[in-house]
Amino acid sequence: MPATIAAKPVNGPDQGIFHNTAGFSTLITVTVLTLAWLAGFASRLFAVIRFESIIHEFDPWFNYRSTAYMVEHGFYNFLNWFDERAWYPLGRIVGGTVYPGLMLTSGTIHWFLHALNIPIHIRDICVFLAPVFSGLTAIATYLLTSELWSRGAGLFAACFIAIVPGYSSRSVAGSYDNEGIAIFALQFTYYLWLKSVKSGSVFWSVCTALSYFYMVSAWGGYVFIINLIPLHVFVLLIMGRFSQRLFVSYTVFYIIGLVFSMQIPFVGFQPIRTSEHMAASGVFALLMAVGALKYLHSLNPKGEWKQLLILGTIVAAGAVFLAVVALTYMGIIAPWSGRFYSLWDTGYAKIHIPIIASVSEHQPTTWSSFFFDLHVLVCTFPVGLWYCIKNINDERVFVALYALSAVYFAGVMVRLMLTLTPVVCVLAGIAFSIILELVLKEEDTTQAPIETEEVKNDKSGKAKKRVQETVQAQDQGPGLYARPGTVIAFMILLMLFSVHCTWATSNAYSSPSIVLASYGNDGSRRILDDFREAYGWLSQNTAEDARIMSWWDYGYQIAGMGNRTTLVDNNTWNNSHIALVGKAMASNETAAYEIMSMLDVDYVLVIFGGAIGYSGDDINKFIWMVRIAEGEHPKDIHEADYFTERGEYRIDAEGSKTMLNCLMYKLSYYRYDSGGSPPGYDRTRNALPGNRGFKLTYLEESYTTEHWLVRIYRVKKRDEFNRPRVPLAKRTIPTSNSISKKTSKRRKGLLKNKPTVVKGKKMRLE
Amino acid sequence: MKIYTILLPLLYCYSAYAEQETLVLVDNLNIKETHSQFFKSLQERGYTLTYKLADDANLVLSKYGEYLYKNLIIFSPSVIEFGGQIDTDGITKFIDDGGNVLLAGNSASSDLYREIASECGFEMDEESAAVIDHFNFDSLDDGDHTRIVVSPRNLINAPTIVGSQNTKPLLFEGTGLILDKDNSLVLPLLTADSTAYSYNPKSQVKEYPHAVGRKTVLIAALQARNNARIVFSGSLFFFSDDAFNAPVSKVHGDKVKSDESGNKELAINLSQWVFGERGQLRVKQVHHHRQGEDNSSDTYTIIDTVVYRIEIEELKNGKWQPFNSNDVQLEFVRIDPFIRTTLQKKPSGVYEAIFKVPDVWGVYQFKVDYDRIGYTRLYHSTQVSVRPLQHTQYERFIPSAYPYYVSAFSMMFGVFLFSIVFLYYKEDTPKSKNE
Repeated sequence: MPATIAAKPVNGPDQGIFHNTAGFSTLITVTVLTLAWLAGFASRLFAVIRFESIIHEFDPWFNYRSTAYMVEHGFYNFLNWFDERAWYPLGRIVGGTVYPGLMLTSGTIHWFLHALNIPIHIRDICVFLAPVFSGLTAIATYLLTSELWSRGAGLFAACFIAIVPGYSSRSVAGSYDNEGIAIFALQFTYYLWLKSVKSGSVFWSVCTALSYFYMVSAWGGYVFIINLIPLHVFVLLIMGRFSQRLFVSYTVFYIIGLVFSMQIPFVGFQPIRTSEHMAASGVFALLMAVGALKYLHSLNPKGEWKQLLILGTIVAAGAVFLAVVALTYMGIIAPWSGRFYSLWDTGYAKIHIPIIASVSEHQPTTWSSFFFDLHVLVCTFPVGLWYCIKNINDERVFVALYALSAVYFAGVMVRLMLTLTPVVCVLAGIAFSIILELVLKEEDTTQAPIETEEVKNDKSGKAKKRVQETVQAQDQGPGLYARPGTVIAFMILLMLFSVHCTWATSNAYSSPSIVLASYGNDGSRRILDDFREAYGWLSQNTAEDARIMSWWDYGYQIAGMGNRTTLVDNNTWNNSHIALVGKAMASNETAAYEIMSMLDVDYVLVIFGGAIGYSGDDINKFIWMVRIAEGEHPKDIHEADYFTERGEYRIDAEGSKTMLNCLMYKLSYYRYDSGGSPPGYDRTRNALPGNRGFKLTYLEESYTTEHWLVRIYRVKKRDEFNRPRVPLAKRTIPTSNSISKKTSKRRKGLLKNKPTVVKGKKMRLE
Repeated sequence: MKIYTILLPLLYCYSAYAEQETLVLVDNLNIKETHSQFFKSLQERGYTLTYKLADDANLVLSKYGEYLYKNLIIFSPSVIEFGGQIDTDGITKFIDDGGNVLLAGNSASSDLYREIASECGFEMDEESAAVIDHFNFDSLDDGDHTRIVVSPRNLINAPTIVGSQNTKPLLFEGTGLILDKDNSLVLPLLTADSTAYSYNPKSQVKEYPHAVGRKTVLIAALQARNNARIVFSGSLFFFSDDAFNAPVSKVHGDKVKSDESGNKELAINLSQWVFGERGQLRVKQVHHHRQGEDNSSDTYTIIDTVVYRIEIEELKNGKWQPFNSNDVQLEFVRIDPFIRTTLQKKPSGVYEAIFKVPDVWGVYQFKVDYDRIGYTRLYHSTQVSVRPLQHTQYERFIPSAYPYYVSAFSMMFGVFLFSIVFLYYKEDTPKSKNE
């Protein structure tokens, strides 16, 4: 990553130089941002270089498939697309259940490039969209940070966000997901919001609403914006910072943003019908009330109105709150959704919505992952936050709220680390910029006044005061010799940071997860391409309308790569349907066959990692299937049955009987004899399966991939059980199992009491 | 044109009878004589009978993957092991590939019979066990009370299989069959009276008999899921000339007397059914479309009105003719049936249903599942998708939206007025100030 390392040192010395002239500073800014873009883009290409230009993981496959559909059939057909291949037999209205921003973005790029006669395949656009957008995110972060603090801090923040693993985890090449473009939209909306709060101009507010509209079309995380901005306004009201600027910017933003967001079919009437969005309208009403009271106050600006104003505000706030509560009780506003509750109580999902808890990225974050994803930034961002709070103004209130809420959410769910990363980059950028200013200012004290003036030009009065403070502080700051040391120390820190970022992106986040790589003792690399092998087999060897049952994780991939009908997929909108599949997997073969024939299943696909020690296989996920199935069918499925008496989850001879006879177990271990010694040893769970050598009655093995990773079974049709055979055990009349006396030479049968011709003697007539 | 109309039925006849190659396995060729009436009736109906001894070393059912015979008659109770390539597996495979089998045993039948019976879902009683009825035996009985007289009332109520005119009493001598109650595919064609039981007539009754009373099945049938048919009779005597011609007179009870037994009629009916001359149904054509359109479509929109037509034919006298019935049902299924309706009978075997697609989108199937005793299972499913309304298909101007239209337009008008007032007011003020 030479570009990354280059970007950083350039950054430091900049601080001193780029204040010389406006032109020169612009040049530096443009250069640094370009380099940040390049570095961000380049560091996300590991997956493409190591493997190939391929769509990653699960959700991106759906996004890719629908983008391809949109490009082929046009936008309106995409909007009305009823996908009968998904959620068989329910089907899915794709147009009304997606955030179309991602598809529209890549579709537009595709259209534009084709208009210029650049014949690029839509897949390549999809693969490289997220890396390209990471550069835009860097620019948006730069703008946001310069709005908050200074351009130097902005450049720092831009460089951080370009390469930080917390963000690149979701935006490597091939990871074609909503988050890839949504973080850009998020940062840009915040930038425009700060701009409009600062200027109080309708223009910027409308721009904010437009950017918000893009965010709504791109990602469900827009709820974060529509709650954070009202929170900002509310806190400003409490702090007594009401102003006409705030009034104009919020009211314009709210109304236009509301109307825009309702244009997305998936969002529809949610902004006025659900509790998640009520904070925004409540604050709108409150702001109106406060505005009216202020106006009354301005008519007669005397002392006695002040109490009335405060009282009036409190009464208005109470009235708004009660109105929302009453509407919720009347059923006009939907109460909080389960997903929302799980943000406050981390145990909630596990009890009430196992399907959410079963996803690994919905687990609470561990401490180490904060460090892993943010490295040195996680230590420095409190510094930036402290400075922001110390030199508070309207915008910095916003960033403080942003930081605090994002830290909380990131702690609740690993996935929400993504919303924390941008604000950490912003605040760490501020912190680094302050530190460098502290350390470097001394050498050119003559420039201090210019610095102040410069800052004054693009900052409000408060910023000026801050600079003076820092100038004072640095007079009493570190000694002459300590400064180079500090600079070097921080440079080393930054270098370590970029090394860590490159390493983390390359090792942890660049695996496409549909192609696995394993390394031998000599460092040689082996590619395990079992997934694509299996999906390829499906697409080549099964009927066009074959219905494949698998756990929901693989639904998008089967649809995307195998082009076959799936029962459930990663869009987990119908819990009971998933529970039905879970029940089939958790039942014994006979009961499962009933469910499978009810659902017209033709093939069953299971992932089995025992042969190669792949831990993300279906047996390890199985307990979630049981839990989800139990949630819907508590009479038939009991979680406790799948554990041993001591509460262990095992598959060896000590495993529970239900476990050893359920469909998932049988499909995983059927005919399994690989995986080291003794044959049939499970390397993932380090155990010898407890039930072996069994036969399948209702299914037959169709295909098993090279490393046993994907196993596909065909469900026998009812006509294949042609005759109702009476099994030996159920016969009332025992039959002796006589061994055939026929040999290859003597092929004559046997008859009882066969009439034999006895040659008699001819009577001699004497 | 005329030639075609004449030729076509001929072709049909030909195709219907071309498959009537039948293999008859016998203990000894005597049976050809003792059962001549039965075999003759088959030959008269166009069957080519190939008689082979059951232990013939050259027995084969198929050559190069093609079956040589369509039907198999096994009249060899004493066989312990078939000769050549035929064995239990061979026969079950023959059934699974669609072949029809008629078996008749007697109380001396070997375990091979029992194996075949079990493969078809019923069981034959132990060796040397015979059906005994001390109240319903024939006057010609030799003292064991095994030559029993069975009333035609004990026949299954399925005219397609047993024919509709069975009034004469039936003669039976042989072993009993036991049926599994859970088994829905197996049919008890003829059961014994409540006084009958199945046991070895030569020994004292020490254990509870395997089959007692009406549970003693004398003739059982199976129509497998691939529509292969098997009739299993416990009595070979039942099909013999002896039984066909013998006068019946019951010794006890109502002392039924008849000059001739009903065996011949029933045997012929059974053979017609088992070899597929009767009770064969097929779907000729299925067509579905939106009402008012002609073209078939595999995508419907919710609340469309759909017309579904199915044409069903029945094999009668070797010809496919329109099927007449008024209980054919259609289901419109998405996991559960959303619509279940009886199809309206139209002329020439066409059945039609017109219904409104439910207001629930998804992937549905038109299912016709006509499963009646004696008929082959008629199952036809067609998959269609039912999609929600497109964004252009919603109603545009609904009355409840009028207040909003009024509000929007009045607002626009108000802003327009306001801007005029605003603009002119602004111009006025500086003027007054200047003055």
